[in-house]
Amino acid sequence: MFKYLNHVVISKFVMAITGIILILFITGHALGNLQIFLGKEALNKYAAFLQGLGEFLWIERIGLLVAALLHIITSIYLKLYNYNARPDKYVVKRYIKAKLNSRTMIWTGLMIAAFVIYHLLHFTVGSIQPENYKYKEIYTQNAYSVEYNANATSLSSQDNDNDANIGVNKILYERHDVYKMVVLGFKNPYISIFYIVAVILLGFHISHAVQSFFQTLGWNSPKYFTWIEKLSVAYGYFIAIAFLIVPLSILLGIIGSNV
Amino acid sequence: MKVKLHIWRQNGPNDKGKMVDYNLDNVSSDMSFLEMLDILNEDLILKGEEPVVFEHDCREGICGSCGLVINGKPHGPESGTTTCQLHMRKFKDGDDIFVEPFRSKAFSIVKDLMVDRSAYDRIQQSGGFISANVGSAPDANAIPIAKNIADLAMDAAACIGCGACAAACPNGSAMLFVAAKSSQLNLLPQGQPEKNKRVRAMINQMEKEGFGGCSNYYECEAACPKNISVRFIAKMNRDYFVAVVKEGTKV
Ligand code: HEM
Ligand code: FES
Repeated sequence: MFKYLNHVVISKFVMAITGIILILFITGHALGNLQIFLGKEALNKYAAFLQGLGEFLWIERIGLLVAALLHIITSIYLKLYNYNARPDKYVVKRYIKAKLNSRTMIWTGLMIAAFVIYHLLHFTVGSIQPENYKYKEIYTQNAYSVEYNANATSLSSQDNDNDANIGVNKILYERHDVYKMVVLGFKNPYISIFYIVAVILLGFHISHAVQSFFQTLGWNSPKYFTWIEKLSVAYGYFIAIAFLIVPLSILLGIIGSNV
Repeated sequence: MKVKLHIWRQNGPNDKGKMVDYNLDNVSSDMSFLEMLDILNEDLILKGEEPVVFEHDCREGICGSCGLVINGKPHGPESGTTTCQLHMRKFKDGDDIFVEPFRSKAFSIVKDLMVDRSAYDRIQQSGGFISANVGSAPDANAIPIAKNIADLAMDAAACIGCGACAAACPNGSAMLFVAAKSSQLNLLPQGQPEKNKRVRAMINQMEKEGFGGCSNYYECEAACPKNISVRFIAKMNRDYFVAVVKEGTKV
């Protein structure tokens, strides 16, 4: 399967195709996150919708994992290969067109990879701040309650549906309180700043990546390419800002001060 | 004018090599860079030292043999100019000038500033041609070619194979050269029958020679003395994609 690594141009195609899959996901993720500004109901509903996708969620997760692994493996292989193709360095070297973002793709990429692992443990697995991960939103028959109601019984223990559970406190529905988890998580300034730095690196990576994708797959016409290069930089800014505005707003108390 | 030269001296391919300093006091600003090096060599010969080996031939910017890395840029500070067409008036009195050979794993150093660029010839020989039965010259306009296509093919054909692209590339990649040499034919009707085979064979040879891959740094375009655009790399990638889908990678 990894025979393609023997061909530098095919490896580059793999970089471009897996990269654009990651960019499409990242875009959806950034837009999804922004729903936090619509309030708790919107965000938790969205999260519950994603969780409810069932097998589609797993198809998406496996697809992303494959794309990410191929992207990382190929990039490391290419980097080593390319490094060896220029073993002797110049005493004096001036770069004219190669900007910092293009020359640091592997480093920003590897830092993003490390961050993504942390991020998954933090918000998807819940092992980094388990105290924030455990919150649930409960819907009982009479009202919607924010805190876990001591009189209510959780969904799982209702299977036998005995009489004691029937009443105003019966839990009709419960869902993960993502809003609370995110707000409490980002109230920790160390975590917020770590996230902000990571998404700035991501934006930097993307500012080179978008136009690189077009060039690699052969869509470089003089009519559009200056625009594609501008789009690439703008997209990097857009992604970085769309992500970092969430921890920043929480840190500044603009949202989530009621949690 | 006076210049302080720092020149890479290396006795042979296996020698380690190092920078050596030379001072030149009587340089005219009208001299070309190579004439300045000629003066240096005359001095060295008079002193009984080994002259600096550097390659040159036409001295009019068309043969592509005069590549040197000057102050960190292949062919020096002036864009779109070969070393032989660079003049000393582009430098200031008292300047430090660093001169190094073109570097890429596929270019081994012969001596001092001269490198073996035969890897480019082998890439060209692997597919940079059309197979045609030679008879008498064909009618001039027998095959109509649109003006924009003809112009584009001419832009690609401006490549003089000097090696600056691989020397400028942080990956030591020859993609711009291979792109120019494959596109100049792949754009034209005469190049169509062997289009897929050509691009696969040339890229295959490029990999065999040990050149790196493209990371879209665009340093090659910035260094090219003929201003060949990286859009030819995009075109080659597209041609290669189609060729590999149709015919696989085996050459
Ligand atoms: C997770 C760790 C990552 C690593 C190690 C990494 C590494 C790299 C490297 C080294 C390149 C340049 C390839 C080359 O020069 O040949 C690259 C290109 C690219 N990256 Fe990443 N990256 C990572 C994550 C991402 C993410 C999260 C995205 C999307 C948001 C992304 C999108 C892209 C794209 C679109 C390209 C351009 C492909 C092309 O060369 O045309 N990368 N990446
Ligand atoms: S000597 Fe021929 S191009 Fe410079």
